[in-house]
Amino acid sequence: MTKRQTIGESYSKQILRTAFSGWGARIGLTWVLFLAFIACFAPLIANSAPLLVSQGGELFMPVIRFLTVQDLVLMALFIMLLLLWWLPISVATKFWIMAGVCAVSIVVGLSFLSPPKLIIYEQFREQVAAGVYDWVVMPVIPYSPSDYLRDFGDTALQAPSYQGVAAHYMGTDSVGSDVASRMVHASRVALSIGFIATGIAIFIGVIIGGQMGYFAGRFDMLGMRLVEIFEAIPVLFLLLAFVAFFGRSVYIIMVIIGVTGWSGYARYVRAEFLKLRKQDYVQAAVASGLPLRSILFRHMLPNGVAPVLVVASFGVASAILTEAMLSFLGLGPVEAPSWGGMLNEAVKSSVFNWWMAAFPGGAIFLTVFGYNLMGEALRDAVDPQLASKAGVVS
Amino acid sequence: MSLLDVRNLHTYLNSGGEVVKAVDGVSLSIDKGETFCLVGESGSGKSICALSIIQLLPAGIASHPKGEVQFQLRKESGDVESVNLLALEDTELRKVRGARIAMIFQEPMSSLNPVFSIGEQIVEALQLHNPEMSESEAKMVAIQSLEQVQIKSPAERFDDYPHRLSGGQRQRVMIAMALACKPDLLIADEPTTALDVTVQAEILQLIKDLQAKNGMAVLFITHDFGVVAQMAHKVGVMQSGRLVESGLVSDILRTPKHDYTQQLLAAIPENLARPDDSLRLFNENADTLVSVTDLNVWFPIRKGVFRRVVDHVKAVDCVNLNIRKGSIMALVGESGCGKTTLARAIIQLQRPTSGSVKIDDQELCGLSEDQLRPIRPRMQIAFQDPLSSLNPRLKVATTLIEPMTAHGIGENKDDRIARAIKVLEQVQLSEEHLWRYPHEFSGGQRQRIGLARALVLNPEFIVCDEITSALDVSVQAEVLQLLLEIRQQSDLTLLFITHNIAVVEYLSDEVVVMKSGRVVEQGLTTSVCGNPQDIYTQTLLSAVPRLNLS
Repeated sequence: MTKRQTIGESYSKQILRTAFSGWGARIGLTWVLFLAFIACFAPLIANSAPLLVSQGGELFMPVIRFLTVQDLVLMALFIMLLLLWWLPISVATKFWIMAGVCAVSIVVGLSFLSPPKLIIYEQFREQVAAGVYDWVVMPVIPYSPSDYLRDFGDTALQAPSYQGVAAHYMGTDSVGSDVASRMVHASRVALSIGFIATGIAIFIGVIIGGQMGYFAGRFDMLGMRLVEIFEAIPVLFLLLAFVAFFGRSVYIIMVIIGVTGWSGYARYVRAEFLKLRKQDYVQAAVASGLPLRSILFRHMLPNGVAPVLVVASFGVASAILTEAMLSFLGLGPVEAPSWGGMLNEAVKSSVFNWWMAAFPGGAIFLTVFGYNLMGEALRDAVDPQLASKAGVVS
Repeated sequence: MSLLDVRNLHTYLNSGGEVVKAVDGVSLSIDKGETFCLVGESGSGKSICALSIIQLLPAGIASHPKGEVQFQLRKESGDVESVNLLALEDTELRKVRGARIAMIFQEPMSSLNPVFSIGEQIVEALQLHNPEMSESEAKMVAIQSLEQVQIKSPAERFDDYPHRLSGGQRQRVMIAMALACKPDLLIADEPTTALDVTVQAEILQLIKDLQAKNGMAVLFITHDFGVVAQMAHKVGVMQSGRLVESGLVSDILRTPKHDYTQQLLAAIPENLARPDDSLRLFNENADTLVSVTDLNVWFPIRKGVFRRVVDHVKAVDCVNLNIRKGSIMALVGESGCGKTTLARAIIQLQRPTSGSVKIDDQELCGLSEDQLRPIRPRMQIAFQDPLSSLNPRLKVATTLIEPMTAHGIGENKDDRIARAIKVLEQVQLSEEHLWRYPHEFSGGQRQRIGLARALVLNPEFIVCDEITSALDVSVQAEVLQLLLEIRQQSDLTLLFITHNIAVVEYLSDEVVVMKSGRVVEQGLTTSVCGNPQDIYTQTLLSAVPRLNLS
């Protein structure tokens, strides 16, 4: 191994640097970051309301009237994350700043934002056509995802076109809404399902698996049986049943994928902790009389979490696929567009409209592929022997 | 013409754009029936040198810009031809490897294939080099060679799998396999380092006997001068890829000319100046600090569906000890004798099955983890493996300060940092090291940090679990001297676990000899080492390779 160690560099930084020095992981990361940006700023990228209008010398931002609390929180978090990334402060401080920003934006959103229940999408287009405004700045995609009526004579199932006022970059679907706009808004569902479901699974898995590994013995035996019970649950059928009884909510889907998916993480964490328990530095921590909390979460978890993160990046990909599959079966969330649901629509229409299948399908493919690339690079970085064998990293 | 003639060998290793000059101009020659010992500290290039000779280095990484290795290759016909091993084709090399030059490795646990029986492995090696040999013939030769390495009832052990053999037996099988084809040169890369001293003595004797019988040459790689004194005819000392000194063994060991050789020889525990009495705190009438009474640590063996306990592994079996205040007690024994388990049971890292451990009349057995926590700072431990003894995710500062915070030592953070710096200086490190991660340190430095972690809590009693056995001799000497100084400064009592008798004689006041969980002999170091009473202690002491030249 080459010596590229810099003074005072932590192990986790070293791992990340090694992982993201390969081109595969970088491509994956770029795509996911791009997607995260699109998801957070979706209302500013694809909206029927103009970003900025000038009416009789006065400036308005009509788009703000339609923002929800969720939109505001997401945007604030994304901007703060970008800013904090470069600041030299500890991870814990960053976390608390993020939590603070989250709380503040919720409060601000609840007190100032009140999006109208009924949205008349064409009102701005009509006013633009009527010449009410001096000038207008429209979003990149000037349609909301559920903006069905077309006043420029556009029709449903229109192929992608880039000319004129009625440009639809990715065509329109069977009810006449803009595919590009739906794609942008659907990225939210995909990303949030991936992150939240995996987050729930890791949280439960680390807590149960960690204790199984540390205490071993009888606790471990009972824990492993619980893991086996959860592994026997057919997740897809459970999802179908829940969706049938409790409605097609994206949150229910997240929770179910999370609650049934922790067993794999628990196994990994357990195996790591069983190994770490006998490590000299853990024994030294016990001999120093440190509290159990510190031994478990400060001395053991950071050393055992690397393989979990690797599995997690594959887990995110599989959660996205599960949601897409549900939506494809027509059982996905109703309240928001999703890539799987769009694929379903592509299949339903009698003629094969390539743009309705290619774009959402391609997005699912790229996202899952991106996560898998990152997972692979992380795994190789965590296990340097593997890296040199596979020849992935430098 | 000598059998092997290495001239100006250079081996460069390429990794990630960097070139490491692992072997940098080594010349040596070995005659028939001669043993050449390569000595040096870890990383000096002695193994790479051997691997270059037999051409086992991966072709993509290693290159030989200069030098040649002339080997007198004995042909089937009986002719002898001089070949340069560095320039030989792969197919030709394969005929040399194993048949004319054989190699045995350090790790007997991993050098045998676990899915084949030992007999099959020897037969395979035989038939590879003698294709005309029939199955039954090969089996006969294999059994003979097993017999040669003194494996008892070789015909029955022929079908045994490696896991049924002990470390020493596996190394014997490796030697049998290496010698089955009657090689002219045997390369032994630290073949006894992973073995206990008594087993090491047997293996060394075996190699010597076989050499006398077969007249082969041996290139023996080791870091132990005791082994050198016993085995070598000629010796070469390596330092960072260069052969700094070579010659007859008696010349080098008696009158070393090069500075480095002198340093190495001076660092051997036997040659270290005995610490003067000002560093000794030992007093035979001192009070007992730690007393161990009838201590048992048994691990249950469970069998069957209901996991019934059928028997126990008695790792520590009825041990009684009294460690006096201010003394250094050495705990010796071979691997698996229970010395580490005993030490861990004393400081309650391993809960004893029964018995009592008292520190200053405070009973420790049976206390809950919460009750133990306030007592923990009084007794600390330092570990063997410099790689795993420090948490790789935490800076040295955190490692040192967290225990202080947990026990309320020092008033605030600045105070604790000041104290951590003081302790680091005590172990001869400095303030800047506080803000680094463990991977930025060498093995010896990590052992010092491990000691510092134990010292920050102001302990009275420290268990040192083989803290020097993973270190090179010169670093070991520094750490041992440091330990004596700290002991004197901080008024400590030590339990020093080791398998190195020379270290025991250098360091300890009292010694305890353990065998299969039991204490077989204990007493003052001078009396136990000078006049051992127990048979086992006598075998152990006589097996130690000594640098005795007279």
